Amino acid sequence: MSLNIPNDLKYTNDHEWGKLEGDVLTIGITDFAQSSLGDIVFVELPEAGSRVEKGGAFGVVESIKSVSDLYSPVGGEVIEKNSELESSPEQCNEDAYGAWMIKVKLSDSTELNDLMDSKQYEEFCQSSN
Amino acid sequence: MKQTSLFEEHKSLGAKLADFAGWQMPIQYSSVKDEVIAVRKNVGVFDVSHMGEFIIEGAETYEFLNYLLPNEIEKPAVGKAVYSPLCNSQGTIIDDLIVYKLENQKALVCVNASNIEKDFQWISEQIKNFNCQMTNKSESYSLLALQGPKAQEILKKCSLKYPDEYYSCLETDEFILARTGYTGEDGFEIFGPHEKIKKIWKQLMELNVTPCGLAARDVLRLEVCFPLYGHELNDEVTPLDSALKWTVKMNKKDFIGKKLLSEYAPKYKLIKLILDKGVPRQGYSVLNDSGEVVGEVTSGTMSVSLGKGIALARILVNKYPQNDIFNVQIRNQNYLAKKTPKAFISGGHK
Repeated sequence: MSLNIPNDLKYTNDHEWGKLEGDVLTIGITDFAQSSLGDIVFVELPEAGSRVEKGGAFGVVESIKSVSDLYSPVGGEVIEKNSELESSPEQCNEDAYGAWMIKVKLSDSTELNDLMDSKQYEEFCQSSN
Repeated sequence: MKQTSLFEEHKSLGAKLADFAGWQMPIQYSSVKDEVIAVRKNVGVFDVSHMGEFIIEGAETYEFLNYLLPNEIEKPAVGKAVYSPLCNSQGTIIDDLIVYKLENQKALVCVNASNIEKDFQWISEQIKNFNCQMTNKSESYSLLALQGPKAQEILKKCSLKYPDEYYSCLETDEFILARTGYTGEDGFEIFGPHEKIKKIWKQLMELNVTPCGLAARDVLRLEVCFPLYGHELNDEVTPLDSALKWTVKMNKKDFIGKKLLSEYAPKYKLIKLILDKGVPRQGYSVLNDSGEVVGEVTSGTMSVSLGKGIALARILVNKYPQNDIFNVQIRNQNYLAKKTPKAFISGGHK
């Protein structure tokens, strides 16, 4: 399996990606995650203004046959959610790194140190495959 | 963990495999969605070799089956297939199965993989006073389900004989072929020895028949509202609780569970729900419009054909809402669920 893992992103071992711009982390699920889940049919995301915790469940992604929690790579305040995914959840399959889910304003930037870079994440995927 | 005779084929096709009733079974190959669409519009094939097969033979084969099962087995002609629940003397459901009437004194009974031993034991106890014998053929048969509007065309290309009518069967030197399935589409189930089934599978792959996994099978059966043991059916409910009244023939002479079923007031009603938003899943609560729990979802999924959440739900008769308004609770939120009288999809079988 060839993995699509952009090297400008950060990753968690729950297969979320994060892209840092200033003090805001844009979060989604990786290509590996969407491919393991299969056809994604439902995405539930938190409203702007709600708070998420590092490692805490912030939403849900459902494939035809499964329900999976989404875990936030960092703690902070949700400043925007991608409402488009709620009506077009298949975007997660079509373009995992374009289909961002939420943007979180970091409350503690040191939490970023716990995330993997693309090389580490690739190794992680291969060992868990 | 058991493997079917096609295990290596599944692996080479890149199937996702998972444990199902003690078997390592293909859950999906390409995508559940594509596999469902293939069966609805074209043709797909499932390896369902985990299913159990019993042969019952002898002078009193059909007398026995008519006593064993709530549905009418004797009257249909040889060559027909009959669906029935298998009930205990309490009238609750041990399993559901299909009887294939192969000959005057010989029937094939196909049961769920997870219930093979339980069923065999139960039926062995009941058969003692009848002049017929049962053999468990589950280990010696493989089983393919070729399903979809183009299934007949494909069988012709394979030069296989097939039964003309829906819910009928025929036996050749090599196979037992039945026009049955679990998808609501036209299609065939092919029982046969492992090596011969393997050859058919390879032929089907060369003819570009879509290999389909158990995930697609579950979506397909739920779209046409076929019950599944362990979900809609279990040994705590009767057929009268489970939308299977049509399989209980009270006018028959006698059958196991008849007395209890004839006096039974159903506790549950099985209903069909469709949601505009949200995906219902097994175990989710069903509420009335004042928020009171009135039942639970027995099976739920996103329907590929409708693009909406669909569910079968078991509702307590004594809490059944007069106004027919239901909500499904999904992660502490209530989603309006519309009750529908007909199956979500009608299927294309003849």
